[in-house]
Amino acid sequence: MAGTGLSGAASLAGVGRTPFSRDSGASTTALACRAVLAALDDAGLGVGDVDGIATHRVGDSSPPWVVGPALGIDDPAWHLDQFGGGGVSHAVVGQAAMAVAAGVAEVVVCYRAVNARSEFRMGGKGRAPAGAFDLQYQAPYGLLAPVQHYAVPARAHMDAYGTAPEHFGAIAVRQRANAAANPRALKRDPFTLDDYLASPWISEPFRLLDCCLETDGACALVVTSAERARDLRRPPVDIAAAAWAGGHSTYSPPAPGGLGDDLTTSSAARLAPRLYAMAGLGPTDVDTAELYDCFTWTVVVQLEDYGFCAKGEGGPFAASEAMDIGGALPVNTHGGFLSEGYVHGINHVVEAVDQLRGDAGPRQVEGAEVALSTGQPGYVLAGTSALLLTAGR
Amino acid sequence: MGKAIRNPRPDAGGTGAGGPGAPGDTAVRPRPAPDRDSAYWWEAVRDRRFLVQYCADCRSPRFPPREVCAVCLSLEWHWHQGTGTGTVDGWTVTRRTFHPAFPAPYTVLRVALDDAPALYCWGGLAGADPADLRRGLPVEAEFTELPPENGRPPGEDGPDVVVDWRPLG
Repeated sequence: MAGTGLSGAASLAGVGRTPFSRDSGASTTALACRAVLAALDDAGLGVGDVDGIATHRVGDSSPPWVVGPALGIDDPAWHLDQFGGGGVSHAVVGQAAMAVAAGVAEVVVCYRAVNARSEFRMGGKGRAPAGAFDLQYQAPYGLLAPVQHYAVPARAHMDAYGTAPEHFGAIAVRQRANAAANPRALKRDPFTLDDYLASPWISEPFRLLDCCLETDGACALVVTSAERARDLRRPPVDIAAAAWAGGHSTYSPPAPGGLGDDLTTSSAARLAPRLYAMAGLGPTDVDTAELYDCFTWTVVVQLEDYGFCAKGEGGPFAASEAMDIGGALPVNTHGGFLSEGYVHGINHVVEAVDQLRGDAGPRQVEGAEVALSTGQPGYVLAGTSALLLTAGR
Repeated sequence: MGKAIRNPRPDAGGTGAGGPGAPGDTAVRPRPAPDRDSAYWWEAVRDRRFLVQYCADCRSPRFPPREVCAVCLSLEWHWHQGTGTGTVDGWTVTRRTFHPAFPAPYTVLRVALDDAPALYCWGGLAGADPADLRRGLPVEAEFTELPPENGRPPGEDGPDVVVDWRPLG
């Protein structure tokens, strides 16, 4: 495969995670340190090897200036403390790859640590002011929580294309079944489509079982050069591409047809061509996809916008057996944010690494060589970011 | 331009630590939190006028208000009386209470304004059953006065008029 830009310059050499829970009993600093140490151990590296440290936050977690010194990493050659949530979850890793490719750093640890159930719940203090910028036109009407913000484009998608509650339900049911094979998952008890349809409304068209799990926990990744990764303990996973796209305006695009004009198309539609071009790969090359699932519907829109099916067909496609482990495109093999837990995006990357290294046990996608992992697809005053990863040789 | 509207509580839409609807929230409805781009628009809403901003050079409309035209980069603009009508583009019926000032259920709409393509505004649903909503349904702006906050003079805590949308016909 012939890549361009960042393609093949950097690799993921180690992954680490804490247990996921509803109350960690630990600080976000402690969680971050535990995940970073686990990732370094996985790579066969020590803190003395680290010269870069990166995270993203929304005012809810411990910064590099605390986590680094807590581990004795007090003079990083490169650092990143990015503001943002799921939209930048994959951007952090891409930016670490750029730092490595540029020779600014050699071993970067990326982490995200949250007590998103026991301390900083979404919509609570620590988030951006609900009235800021475009949100000033929504908060006065009671549009305050993420579930409401995503409900509006989901409803528009249903109205435009006939996307049905049963499609959302199939996603939720499948991901719970996947989580049953994942010992780390917070929710492992299977449920049926009828159970889904009986679960209480939160903000229509979303029911309780459409929503991701507020989670305490942390994950970390070690990013280093592709060359060095080949000398380390575990098989490398190469960053075949990293890409970014702007935000889907909550309001009005500069002109008709611009991003944000049509709620039913996400920023991923802008990002995907760049991502595939950098890797020299296309949607048919993807063996498994970890698609940002803060709510079921974001899986639907991303199946369309990453080119796996035509616009409007995401609902029926998501409900098809193609998404199952063993199908043509297994999606959210760990149970996703809906059932494994929600570490704001980074746990998708960790699962993609597990799949490409053959570490996924009973949920392993046989022969997985190429994995797509995506951030929040650019709604609600956020950009988007994604990674295309390949099994190193 | 109009006088700036004081915004003493820029995070008025936030909810308490520990999550939506946590203890410590008051039942005071979050006021609009204007910034220096939007203050004039909100002030007009207080006067029951629905304005749309147009570039003075290329005549492109824009919403929400900005200083610079994204089409031609002009810094000159005019305000015009908008139609105050539009069509439903998307909505959600919230059935869980996230903030004590907004007891569930309630409905919030995204409205495509009739003034020009690709202009959108938001607001609550007025005087209709959300079960009757569909994309393309015609609606008109309705100005809703918020109740006084803690006995303070009207407008003291930010704009006290917001825009809701009522289906036509």
